[in-house]
Amino acid sequence: MMLRIALPLALPFAIVAVAFVLLSQTDAYIIRLATTFGMYAALALAWNIIGGIAGYPSFATAAFFGLGAYVTAVAQNLGAPLLVGVGLAGAGAALFAGLLGSAILHLRGKYFAIASLVIAEVLRELTNSWTSVTGGGMGINLPLAKTTLLTQPQLYLAAMLFLAAAATSASMLIDRSRLGVALRCIAQNEDAAQIIGVDTRMAKTWAFVISSLFIGLVGGVYASWVTYIDPTDVYDGAMSVKPILMALLGGVGSVFGPVLGAFAYLLLEELLWRNLLEFHAGILGLLVVLLVLFLPGGLSQIRGVGLVSLPKIWRRAP
Amino acid sequence: MLWLQVLVNGLAVGGLYACIAVGFSLVWGVLNIINILHGSLIVLGGYLAFFAHQYWGINPFLFAPLAGAVMFAGGVALQYCVINHVMARPFLITLLLTFGLNLFLDNSMLALFSADYRKVLLNPAPGVFDLGSIVVPADRIYATLVGLVLISALALLLRFTQFGRAIIAVRMDRDAAALLGVNVRWTYAVAFGLGVFMAGSAGALLSAIFPISPVASAGYLSKAFVICVIGGLGSIPGAVIGGFALGVIESFGALLLGPEHALTLAFVLLIALLAVRPSGLLGRQGFA
Amino acid sequence: MKLTVRSALAGLMIMAAGNVAANAKDSVVIGAPLPVTGALSPEGTKLRQGYELWREQVNAAGGVKVGDRRLKVDLRYYDYQSQTPRAIQVAEKLITDDKVDFLFSPFGSGATKAASAVAEKAGVPMIASSASSKEVFDQGYKNLFGVYTDNSTFSEPLADLVKAKLPNARRVAILARNDLYPLSLANEFEKSAKKRGFDVVFFEKYAIGTLDHASALTQLRAAKPDWIVATGYINDLITIRKQAADLKVGGEAFTLINGPAYQEWISAVGPLAENVTTASWFHPVARYSSDDVFGSSAKFVELFKAKYGSEPDFTQASGSAVGVVLQQAIERAGSLDRDKVRAELKKGGFKTFFGPISFSDIGIADSYVPPVLQIQDGKVQVVAPAEIATSTFRTGLK
Repeated sequence: MMLRIALPLALPFAIVAVAFVLLSQTDAYIIRLATTFGMYAALALAWNIIGGIAGYPSFATAAFFGLGAYVTAVAQNLGAPLLVGVGLAGAGAALFAGLLGSAILHLRGKYFAIASLVIAEVLRELTNSWTSVTGGGMGINLPLAKTTLLTQPQLYLAAMLFLAAAATSASMLIDRSRLGVALRCIAQNEDAAQIIGVDTRMAKTWAFVISSLFIGLVGGVYASWVTYIDPTDVYDGAMSVKPILMALLGGVGSVFGPVLGAFAYLLLEELLWRNLLEFHAGILGLLVVLLVLFLPGGLSQIRGVGLVSLPKIWRRAP
Repeated sequence: MLWLQVLVNGLAVGGLYACIAVGFSLVWGVLNIINILHGSLIVLGGYLAFFAHQYWGINPFLFAPLAGAVMFAGGVALQYCVINHVMARPFLITLLLTFGLNLFLDNSMLALFSADYRKVLLNPAPGVFDLGSIVVPADRIYATLVGLVLISALALLLRFTQFGRAIIAVRMDRDAAALLGVNVRWTYAVAFGLGVFMAGSAGALLSAIFPISPVASAGYLSKAFVICVIGGLGSIPGAVIGGFALGVIESFGALLLGPEHALTLAFVLLIALLAVRPSGLLGRQGFA
Repeated sequence: MKLTVRSALAGLMIMAAGNVAANAKDSVVIGAPLPVTGALSPEGTKLRQGYELWREQVNAAGGVKVGDRRLKVDLRYYDYQSQTPRAIQVAEKLITDDKVDFLFSPFGSGATKAASAVAEKAGVPMIASSASSKEVFDQGYKNLFGVYTDNSTFSEPLADLVKAKLPNARRVAILARNDLYPLSLANEFEKSAKKRGFDVVFFEKYAIGTLDHASALTQLRAAKPDWIVATGYINDLITIRKQAADLKVGGEAFTLINGPAYQEWISAVGPLAENVTTASWFHPVARYSSDDVFGSSAKFVELFKAKYGSEPDFTQASGSAVGVVLQQAIERAGSLDRDKVRAELKKGGFKTFFGPISFSDIGIADSYVPPVLQIQDGKVQVVAPAEIATSTFRTGLK
C-alpha cells in the first residue's frame, strides 16, 4: 500500500536527479536542450491530465503558460524573490483555472476546445493593453536570478526537470486514484459516468486545476529563464498545440507517453531547425501530417498506443 | 456624427469579416474540422488576385469567384487525398493535420513569394462614397457586396440543390446518408472545396484593401475563430451576423476604450457569450 | 507506410551525429540570429542581404586582416522565428555551441534588448543593426554597440522642418503601435513637438496585429490635426495611409515611420505616398567616402544594385554596416581577442559607407545625422539635412 504511493512519488525524482547530475556538467547548449525537454515534458504531461485522461481537448495551455510567465515577471519586478514569483504563478494559474472551469467545463467537445482557445487571446489582449503593470507590447524584463550553488543554466535545468518529475508523479498518482477512474469514465462516456454516481463536475475541475497549476509553474520558470517576455511570445497559439502534438506522438492518456512524445518532438524540431534555415517549419508541418496519417495503431486510442508502437519501430530499423 | 461614422466603419469592416469567416464556418459545420489552414488559404487567394491583377490587369473584385474556383479544385483534391483518411478520427486529429498542412503552406508561400508586403493597387482608385459628414470607402462596399453575393449563392446551393441536400444529410447523420446512397467521401471533398472556395475568394476581395503577406495568415484565422464563436459554429448566416457584430463591437471598443483596447471589449463579450450561450447567436443543429 | 516514419527517424539520427562544428581558427566566426520566418521575415531577408554582400566583398578581398593574417568571414545564421525568447536561445546557442567570436543583433529593438543580456553575460561584443530606442542601451552593458542613432534624431529634424515650413501649424496627432520601438519613437515625437510649442491633440496606441485602423483614424480626424505622425511597421503603415485617405483625414504634413523609406511601401500605396515624410538612417544619395571594404557610399550602392537589382534601403544597408564596423574594429585591434576589439569599438571613429560611426557612452551611434525623407513624384527625396538634400520639403497632402 505504501509502495503504491511512495514509488510514483520517488521514482521520477530519482531519475531526474541522476539526469541532472549527468547533464549539469555538459556544455551550455546541451543544458539548454535538456531544459527545453523538461519544459516540454511538463507541459505535455500537464495537458494530458485534462486533455488525455479526461478527454477534454484543452487549448488553454498558452493562456496558463502566459499567465504564469506574467505573474512571475510582475511579482519579481515588485521585488518578490524568484521562488515566490513562480509559486504565485502556479497558484494564480490554478485559481484562474478553477474559476474558468466553472464557466466553460460544462461545454463539451469542440465547444470546450474553442472556448479554451479564446482564453489565450483574451489574456494576450489584456496583457497588451494593461501597460502600466505588464509593460504592454514593450514586454517586460526579469531580474537575473541570484544563484549560489548552481550556475544560471544549471538552476533552470534543475527547475524544469523538477517540474517534469513532479508532473509525472502527479500523473501517476492520479492514474491510480479515484480521480483517475472518474476522469477515464468521463473520457469514455460522461453521461454514463454521471448516472453511475461520478461527481463529474468536481473531477473535471480538479483535473483542469492540477493541469493548469503545472502549466503556470512552467510559465513562471520560463519567464525567469529567458529574462524577457512579451505578450505575443508567451500567449503564442503554438504553445497550445505543441503539447497536444507531443502527447499524441507518445500516446494520449498514458502516463509516460507525453514524456516520450516531448522527447521525440524536441528532437525533430531541433534537428530540422538547426539544419534547414529557411524551410524547417514546412518540413516540420509535413512530418506532422505524415505522423497523423501513418503512425500505426491509431493515435486516437486512449491508452499507451504510442508507447508500445514506437519501440517496435526502433527495433525493426535496419 | 462621430458615432455614426464609427458605426459605418464597423459595418464596413464587418462585411469583410463575414467574407473571412464563412468558409471556415462551413468546413466546421459540415466536416467537423477546425481548419487551421483557413488563414493561409485566404492569403493564397490574395496572391492569386495580386498576380492576376499584375499580369493581366484583372480587377480583384471580379476575379474573386475565379480565384475561388481555382482553389476549389485544390481543396477538393486535398480533402479527397489527404484529409479524408482521418475523417473518422476525433477532431483533435484532424485539427493537428490541418495544423501541419498550415505550417507547410505558410512556409511554402514564404519561400515562393517572400514575406514582403504587397497590395493590389487599383487604377483609378475606387475612392469613397461621400455622404456629407460620413464617408464610406468604396472598395470595402464592393468587396462586401461581391462577398455577400457569393455567400448567398452558397446558401442557396446548400438549400435548394440535390448536392446541397446531400451535404446537409451527411452533416446530420453520416451513416444514414450513406445508406440512402449518398457518396459520403465525395460529399465531404466537395464541401471542403466549397470552404476553400470561400477562403480564396475572400482573399481576392481583401487584396486591394489589406497588405498581402504569408505572415498575415494567423491574423485572419483568429478573426475567423472569433466570428464563428459569436455567430454560432457551423452556421452560414451566423458567420455573416458574427462578422458584422465583431466589426461594430471593435469599432466602438476603439472609440470608447481607445484603439489599443479595441479587441478587449469584443473578447469580454465573447467570454460572456460563451458562458451563457455557447452555440453562438445563431447556432443550431440544423443548417443553412 | 511505417517505412516513411522509420527512415525519417533514421535520417534524423544521422543528422544529429554529423553536427559538430569545425572551428579551426582560419576564420572569423560571427553569429547572426535572423527572423527568417514569422512576422519579421521581410526585415530578416533584408538584413541577410546586407550581411551577405559584406561577407562576399570581404572574402573576395582575401578576408579580414588580423595582424599579418587574413581570416575569412564565417557567418552563422539561425532562424529565431520572429520570437524574442527564441532569439535569446539562438544567441546562447551561437555563443556556446557554434563558439562564435562576435555577434550581430537580432532585428529590432525588443529582441536586441533581450539578446544583449546573453551577450553581456558571455562577454561577447554584439553589434546592433537595427535598434535605436534608448531603452535598449540604458542597461549599462559594455558589449552592445548600435549603428543607428537614437530616435530623437528622427523627431527633432522633422519637428524643425514642420515648424519652419508651416508656421501656423499647431495641432499634432500621434498614433503609435504599442511595441517597444514604435512607442519609444512616438514618445520622442511628442517631446519634440511639445518643445516647439505644438499642441499634441491626439496620442493613441494601437495593438500589435491590428487589422483595421478606421476607428482610431476617425477619432484622429476629429482632433483636426495639422501634422499627423504614425509609427509602426510596414504593413501597419500601408493600411494606415490607405485608411487615412479613405476617411479623408486632412492635415498639412503626414509623417510615417518606418515604411515609406522602403520601396515595397511606395508600391503598395501608390499615389497616396505623395508628400509623406519619413526618416531613415541611410539613403542611397549619401556621399560618404570610407575606409571600409566598399570605399564609399556610392560604391556600396552600386555593388548592392549589381547583386540584388534594387537600391539598398536602410535595413539592407545596416546589415552591411554592422559588418564593416566590426571588421574595422578587428583590424585595428589586430586580434580576435574580444577585450581588444571591444576597446576599439569603444574608441569609435570608423569611417564607413553608412556614415562616420562612433558610439556614445551607452553604445548608441551619435556621430552622423540621419536623413529626413519625403516621397515626391513617386521618388524618395532627401529634404534634410541641407548638405545632402535633393529636394525641398513640400507641404500638403493629396
